[in-house]
Amino acid sequence: MNRLRLERWCGQVLSARPTRACHAHLSISRPCAARSLNVRYQSNSAATDASSSEAPSAPAATAAAAAATAAATAAPSLSSSQPSATSPAEPATSSSSSFSSPSPSSEPISSLPPSSAEQDIVYDYETLTQYPSPPPELARSSAKLAALHARLGLPERFPLETLARALVDPSADPAPRFNNGSLRTLGNNLLGYYAAEHLVCKYPRLPLTVLFQAVYAYIGPKALSQVRHEWGIELAAEPGGEVDPGLLQFARLTPGETPAEGTSGRPNEEMGWRRGMSSRVVYDNMYGEPKTEMEASERPELAPGVTVEDKRGETAEHAGANCVRAIFGGLYLHAGRPAAKKFFHDHFLSRQLDIAALFQFNQPTRDLSRLCAREGFEPLIARLLSETGRHSRHPVFVVGVYSGKDKLGEGIGGSLDEARIRAAISSLKGWYLYSPMDTRVPSDVEGQDGASVSWKPVYVDGGEVVV
Amino acid sequence: MPVQGLRAVSTARNGVGAFILQCKRLDFHYCDWAGSSRGMNAFLKNTLPAFARANPQVEINVSPRPRKHPVIKGTYINGREKAVCVRNLEKEQILKKAELLRDASGEQLKRVTKPISSTNESVRGIWSPYHGDSHTL
Repeated sequence: MNRLRLERWCGQVLSARPTRACHAHLSISRPCAARSLNVRYQSNSAATDASSSEAPSAPAATAAAAAATAAATAAPSLSSSQPSATSPAEPATSSSSSFSSPSPSSEPISSLPPSSAEQDIVYDYETLTQYPSPPPELARSSAKLAALHARLGLPERFPLETLARALVDPSADPAPRFNNGSLRTLGNNLLGYYAAEHLVCKYPRLPLTVLFQAVYAYIGPKALSQVRHEWGIELAAEPGGEVDPGLLQFARLTPGETPAEGTSGRPNEEMGWRRGMSSRVVYDNMYGEPKTEMEASERPELAPGVTVEDKRGETAEHAGANCVRAIFGGLYLHAGRPAAKKFFHDHFLSRQLDIAALFQFNQPTRDLSRLCAREGFEPLIARLLSETGRHSRHPVFVVGVYSGKDKLGEGIGGSLDEARIRAAISSLKGWYLYSPMDTRVPSDVEGQDGASVSWKPVYVDGGEVVV
Repeated sequence: MPVQGLRAVSTARNGVGAFILQCKRLDFHYCDWAGSSRGMNAFLKNTLPAFARANPQVEINVSPRPRKHPVIKGTYINGREKAVCVRNLEKEQILKKAELLRDASGEQLKRVTKPISSTNESVRGIWSPYHGDSHTL
């Protein structure tokens, strides 16, 4: 309670963002007819709620309403002081159309009752504790959220309400309009697409097993959970309406509880059949693993009307990864593809990964000879290049693998066999890690932003060697 | 299966691509009564709004700490905390301390002995006695 009061005070005087520093008090203006606890599942989305409060009809609007309008000028997609600003023809509005259009009452924003001082609802602590997650209106007064927005360098078009929504896990708030279930699905697919196209175009000869693990290393749940920590998103001890919207809210697993697991989607799962590599492309997730993580839509315990006691918890790793996905999905919706791609390059592809360390060979010499036979190279010969101390305790042999006059690879080992195997591995890695110069990915030339870039077909390899 | 993939997780390189400021939060504690907070109170009134505006990525909290010396505490992404006591300092000196906390990485201070530390492998490679021109005695 003390902490809350403190942050509110800081939010009004010393807000981290200059455009939002002018909140006169914390009373949030919103139409009172649209708010009760049961309405959460039918009410308009956060963006609609926010913009409805920003249409002061009378010039004698309160300081709070003026502050809300001043804050909304920073997010042009939400400013609706003119009714024409919400027309879907405008590009800025169309980016968030999926967010604000599905109003169940099909009521245009401009016809909502104008907010005034009499209709304001001031959230007191008792009211807030009854909400499963903080109301979207509180996003603008959260110093943590504003700081996170600035720390990530998100554009002004990305509103704080969406950022707050991305931090609410379905296990905390089952209402689909107030949690990040939809945003994270979009973000997950986008992350998988961008990572896979980058890897396939940059390393066209990568074997499928290594490609799966490389995607996992870049955007797998472990990596995204680390990203959550590196972005400075803290975990709320317990979700609730009174919690600061800048904290990640999810219901934790109770001791002894296991995470909810979905079905893998494979036919004859109980037969214990072998999972071949080709079937992983069809049935499994983007890392080649059986789908175990449950989608929020598949979880009946998260349906509206279910009490908090029946809800299943979530691990911190999954909740953290999902909030990163949701932020990325929200960025794509609000700021568009170029901004999302730049964000992906800056935050995910810039991470360090040694792809050569992802290979594990069983019989590298056999693989290499099969590869050379397939490619029509001359038969392989392993030649001893240099050696020392053959009869000593520490012999060293340097072996090169040759195909005709070409040296394919070289290895150093303590025995002749070890050096030969190392040389074969180095040759195979040299083949599989081939990377063409100046690669271009398909999403570079998609849409209008790619009209100026000409498409150069990427190198497509014949595939890995089949033994 | 000729080749298998090993599981790994990519590691962050802050500043390659995006840069995330490591200071998450700065807490300013002051006292209304005590004389050691005089500079801090002037800082809070005059300098802090501009400082907060210039550093939007840092959450700034101000709270009283009666009958104690004024303190600035920084909380960092790595989970550590740094506190600087600013008793009897002028507001310009306090601004320097706040900037010091903002720019800190949150790590413990260490003596840097190597001129370069890198996670990339050497471009030149490790010297090998078995390659290059052989040395004749």
